[in-house]
Amino acid sequence: MQNSTLQVQPPSEVKKSDSGLTRWLRKYFWGIAFLLPAAVIFILFLWMPIIKGFFYSFYQVDFVKGNTYVGLDNYKAALEDPVLLKAIGNTLYYVFLGLLIGFVVPIFFAIMISELRKFQGFVRVSAYLPNVIPLVVLYSVWRWFYDSVGPINGTLTQVGAEKVNFLTDPSWSMISLVLMETWQQFGAAMLIYLAAVLSIPRDWYEASEIDGAGVWQRIWHITLPSIRNLIVLMFILQLIAASQGFQSQLAVLDGGPNNATMTYALLIVKYATTRLNLGVATALGVMMFLVLGLLSLVQYRLNKEVN
Amino acid sequence: MKSHERGILSRYDFNRLNVKLIYGFMVLITVVMVITMLYPIFSTLFNAVKSNQEVNSFPPHFLPQGSWHWENFTKGWNYIPLPTFLKNTLLIFVGNMVATVVVTGMAAYSLSRLRLPKKQLISFFFMMTLFIPPTTYLIPNFLNLQDLGLLNSYWAFWLPAGANAYYLLLLKSFFDSLHSELFEAGRIDGASELRCFLQIAIPLSIPIFSTLAIFVFSTAWNEWFWPSMVMHSDKMYPLATAIYKYIVNARMLDLNIRFSILTMIMLPPIVVFLLFQRFIIGGLHLGGVKG
Repeated sequence: MQNSTLQVQPPSEVKKSDSGLTRWLRKYFWGIAFLLPAAVIFILFLWMPIIKGFFYSFYQVDFVKGNTYVGLDNYKAALEDPVLLKAIGNTLYYVFLGLLIGFVVPIFFAIMISELRKFQGFVRVSAYLPNVIPLVVLYSVWRWFYDSVGPINGTLTQVGAEKVNFLTDPSWSMISLVLMETWQQFGAAMLIYLAAVLSIPRDWYEASEIDGAGVWQRIWHITLPSIRNLIVLMFILQLIAASQGFQSQLAVLDGGPNNATMTYALLIVKYATTRLNLGVATALGVMMFLVLGLLSLVQYRLNKEVN
Repeated sequence: MKSHERGILSRYDFNRLNVKLIYGFMVLITVVMVITMLYPIFSTLFNAVKSNQEVNSFPPHFLPQGSWHWENFTKGWNYIPLPTFLKNTLLIFVGNMVATVVVTGMAAYSLSRLRLPKKQLISFFFMMTLFIPPTTYLIPNFLNLQDLGLLNSYWAFWLPAGANAYYLLLLKSFFDSLHSELFEAGRIDGASELRCFLQIAIPLSIPIFSTLAIFVFSTAWNEWFWPSMVMHSDKMYPLATAIYKYIVNARMLDLNIRFSILTMIMLPPIVVFLLFQRFIIGGLHLGGVKG
C-alpha cells in the first residue's frame, strides 16, 4: 500500500490470494462446523486422558498437596509389588480359560443353529437373552447359584457327589467366574457367527455334495474357511477384552480368595481406590497399554482385511 | 427363511442313519443350551415370589411350592429408594442419547456427506480411539474428569457420551447408505446443510438411532463400576451402582426380597429386548462386520 507498484498489480490477483482462505472456508464451512463439537469432545474426553496417562505415571498424584514429579518411582513401585506377578499370571489364566471355555462354544452353536429347521428364532432369542441381564443381577444371582446351599450344590448332593466350593476354593474361583461370563456373553458372539454362516452361498454346499463331500468335509472345507477371518478377528477381540477384565472379579469376589482372582486390571483399580496411589495405577495402565497396543495393531490390520 | 431349503445338510443327507443320529444329538445339545440359558432367569423370577423360608431350603427347588408371595415386590420396592435411582439412570440415558444424536450424529453426517479437508486424517483421529484399550486409561480418565471439575455431576456422563467412535462408525455407514439424490434435491431447493441434516438425514435415520438408543439404554442400565468412581453422593447413583452397593453386598437382606429387587431390575431390559429384537440383532450384525 505504501508504494505504487501494488496498484500496478492486477487487482484480480490480490483478490484471488485474499479469497483463498475465504474460499477454503466457504468450501469446508459446514463440514468443519458439523465436526467441531465431536472433535472437541473426543479431544477432551478421550485423547486428553490417553495422553495424560503417560504424564501422570511420572508423578505422585495428591489431591490435597498437588502433584510432584517422582521420575520412575511409580514404575519401580509397581514392579516391586509382589502381587503384580500373581496378577499377570491370573490375567493370563483368565484369558486362557475364557478362550478354552468360551471361544469354540459360539462357533459350534452358530453352525448348529443355522441347521435348525424349526424354532430357530426362539433358540436365537434364548441364547441372546442372558446378554440383556444387567451385570449386577448376574453377579448376585450367580453368587447364589454357586453358594454351598445353592442349586448347583443341591443337584450335586442329590446325585451323591461332593459339594464344590465354587467361589471360596481358589482352584475353582476363576473357573466359576469364566463359566458365569460365558453363560452371559456367548450369545452375542454366536449371533455374529450365525449371520456369517447364513451368508455362505448355498450352492457351494450343493456343488460339494454333488462332488461327494460328506457333512464333516463340507463344514471343514466350506463353512469354517468362509468364516475364518471373522474367527481370527473375534479371537483377537476376545483376547483384548479379556486381558482388561476386572468387573466380575471385583464385584463377585473382590479379587479373593487369597488374590486368586486378582487380575492386572483389578490391581490398577485397587491402586486407585483402596491403596490410593493413583500414580502407580496410571503407571500400571501405561505398561498395559504397551502390551495391549501391540495386540490392537494386529486387530487394526485384521479389521482392514475383514472389511 | 428361504435359506432353509438347504443348509450344510440336504434332504438327501437325512436318509442316512448316522447323520440322523448325530443331528438328533446336536438338537439335544441345543435344547440343553436353551434350558441352561433360561433356567437362571426363570429361577430368579420364581425365587422372587417364594417365602424366605422356602427360598432358603436345601436342596432348592425351581417352582414355588407354597403360595406366591407377591408382597415381596412391595417390600423390595421400599427397601432402598428405587425411584430415585431409577430417575438417575433415566437422566443419564436421556442425556447420553442427546449427546449421541447431536455430537456423534453431526460428526458422522459431516464425515459421510460434507466436504472436509484431509478426510482420511480426520477419520483416523476418530477411529484410532477404537484401538486403544479403555482400561489402560481408566484412571487418567478419572483424573481428567477431576481436572475438568466434572466429578459428582451428570455432565461426567453426558459429555463423554459423544466421544464414542463405535457409534460414530455405525452412524457414518448408515448415512453412507442413504441416497445422495435426496440431499441434492434438498440443496437445489435451497436448504442449508443444517436443514438437510435435521429434516432429511435425521428422519431417515430413525432405525439406526433406535438401535443406538437401545445400546445407550443398556449401557446406562448396566454400568455400575464407572458411576461408583465418578459419583460421590448416594443420591446421585444410577440404579446399577446402587444395586451393587446396597443389594449385591448386603448381608442382612432376606434372600427372597433380594430376588424380588433383582427381578425388578432385570425385567425392563428383557422387555426392551423382546420388543425391539429386530434393531438389536441388526445392530449386532453391523457391529460384527465392522468390529
